Amino acid sequence: MKTARRTLIGSGTLLIAYAVSGALADGDVKFGALVFLVAVLVAHDGLVLPFTIGAGALIDRIVPPALRGAVRVAAVISLAVTLVALPLVLGRGRVPDNPSVLPLPYGRGLLVVYTLIWATTAVVVAVRRRRHRPHRVAGK
Amino acid sequence: MDGGEQVVRDADPGLSPDHAEPSGGRVGSIAGRLAGLARTANRWVQAPLPQPPASLRRGPLRRGAFDSKLRSPRLTSLLGIALAVAFTVCFGTGLISHFIQHPPAWFWWPSRPVGLYRVTQGLHVATGLAAVPLLGAKLWSVYPRLFGWPPARNLAHAIERAGVAVLVAAALFQLISGILNISRWYALMPFFFTAGHYWAAWLATGALITHIGVQLPVIRQALVRSTPDRTAPGALTRRGLFGTVGAAAGVITLATIGQTVAPLAPVSVLAPRRPRTGPQHLPVNKTAAGAGVRDAALDPGYRLTIAGPARTLGLSLPELAALPQHTVVLPISCVEGWSATGTWSGIRLRDLIALVGADPEDAEAYVESLEARGRYRATTVPPPHSRDPFTLIALRLGGDVLHPDHGYPARLIAPNRPGVLQTKWVGRITVRGPR
Repeated sequence: MKTARRTLIGSGTLLIAYAVSGALADGDVKFGALVFLVAVLVAHDGLVLPFTIGAGALIDRIVPPALRGAVRVAAVISLAVTLVALPLVLGRGRVPDNPSVLPLPYGRGLLVVYTLIWATTAVVVAVRRRRHRPHRVAGK
Repeated sequence: MDGGEQVVRDADPGLSPDHAEPSGGRVGSIAGRLAGLARTANRWVQAPLPQPPASLRRGPLRRGAFDSKLRSPRLTSLLGIALAVAFTVCFGTGLISHFIQHPPAWFWWPSRPVGLYRVTQGLHVATGLAAVPLLGAKLWSVYPRLFGWPPARNLAHAIERAGVAVLVAAALFQLISGILNISRWYALMPFFFTAGHYWAAWLATGALITHIGVQLPVIRQALVRSTPDRTAPGALTRRGLFGTVGAAAGVITLATIGQTVAPLAPVSVLAPRRPRTGPQHLPVNKTAAGAGVRDAALDPGYRLTIAGPARTLGLSLPELAALPQHTVVLPISCVEGWSATGTWSGIRLRDLIALVGADPEDAEAYVESLEARGRYRATTVPPPHSRDPFTLIALRLGGDVLHPDHGYPARLIAPNRPGVLQTKWVGRITVRGPR
């Protein structure tokens, strides 16, 4: 294992050095790439994750215990879809003379996806509840 | 034990060199000195750093600030393995795309199967998008480690943490810049996307390999030893979280994959492109107006110049139309992950190569657009593609004369090539022997 670890750490470090030297030598990368690199790290660790954990805590506060798991699942899926869809919904990439770029109404599309996620979750919860109450059915 | 401690405490920090064995024999003096140096360096990076005052340990730095019982080395390891697979797929397919566009001397890319690039690049983008919930869950599972106390035990620990920061930043860089690219939001990226995405890919890969090396004992232990799920009844279980991440990846994939898998287009309400939407039912990346070629392309005096070893020809549109015409069904496969199939008609490139006195089996064609400038105004068609009878200088799409945005009066269309290399508004072809 020692050899494997040394090989992995050594070759990985060499690749990092290759990436840094290549980026420095590439006139297209510029200083902006470093700014972006730091910005996405700070935005994720400082905004997106605290928001996610805060939302999880909020779910614990306001959602009844029996529903918490399901709401959490639906919320996580919704968040992931939102992160992918947001630039499409904002549509800053649209260009006036090329309607084939971003041709769909993405805001409406995202609402459709939300609806499907939460409706599916509601159905799953309802089905599970019914399954967990076998006595009533048996008693009939 | 607080969340941070429980996630991983590496008993054998990866960056610590092994204790150098005493060297024997006559080579000994140099080896001995090296070993001595290594020992000194080792002592130096392992020396405890001064600790910050405990009064600074507030907020998320407090013991037990993160209380989810869902976090465990096993969860992190399994998510990490899935993520490593996803990143490997993206890195491999991305390298293929890079090498096709900037071929090193040893690289060779076939012209068949015609849809191979469509698959590799579709996979590249789909895998990257599906990795979004995976990376989110992985980073959530180790988030308490960010607030570990003390921030750095020693220099080795500090270096290791810096390596993790590089890995996280590079991974986020790849996914976020990729999403911005397919939604064409370039204003947010203060660098040329292709170059930044390429070098950050090497950075992420290097940092990932290093990270696996550092964490190998922890990963192995987490996979070998069964870890009971300690989550409270009713809370999200480990299996539940994997299911959630998988479901999120599935929803994202279904919502976007229709940009390349045409039958799923009606389902993909978040696809950045629709394979049938655009002039002549085909998407366009760069319009004639955007490329600044409208006037040159619509000029009735247009002639296609073909220069070869024997002669140079200047063919007008009627002369081109009088040459033997062929029809092929080929996809346009964009690096952005969308693709669409078109029925193209025109002259075989190999016929034009023969016309100017070169060997159609073994020639390279340098195809230039009427564009005055632009990164992609010219491309080289290597022998595997120039000899392929499917490679056309197309004059028609779907039976109609090319729309200006699709490259009127003539465009290159070749099998198994990125769309960005399918030069539009072709003005000149230079034929030469292979390099």
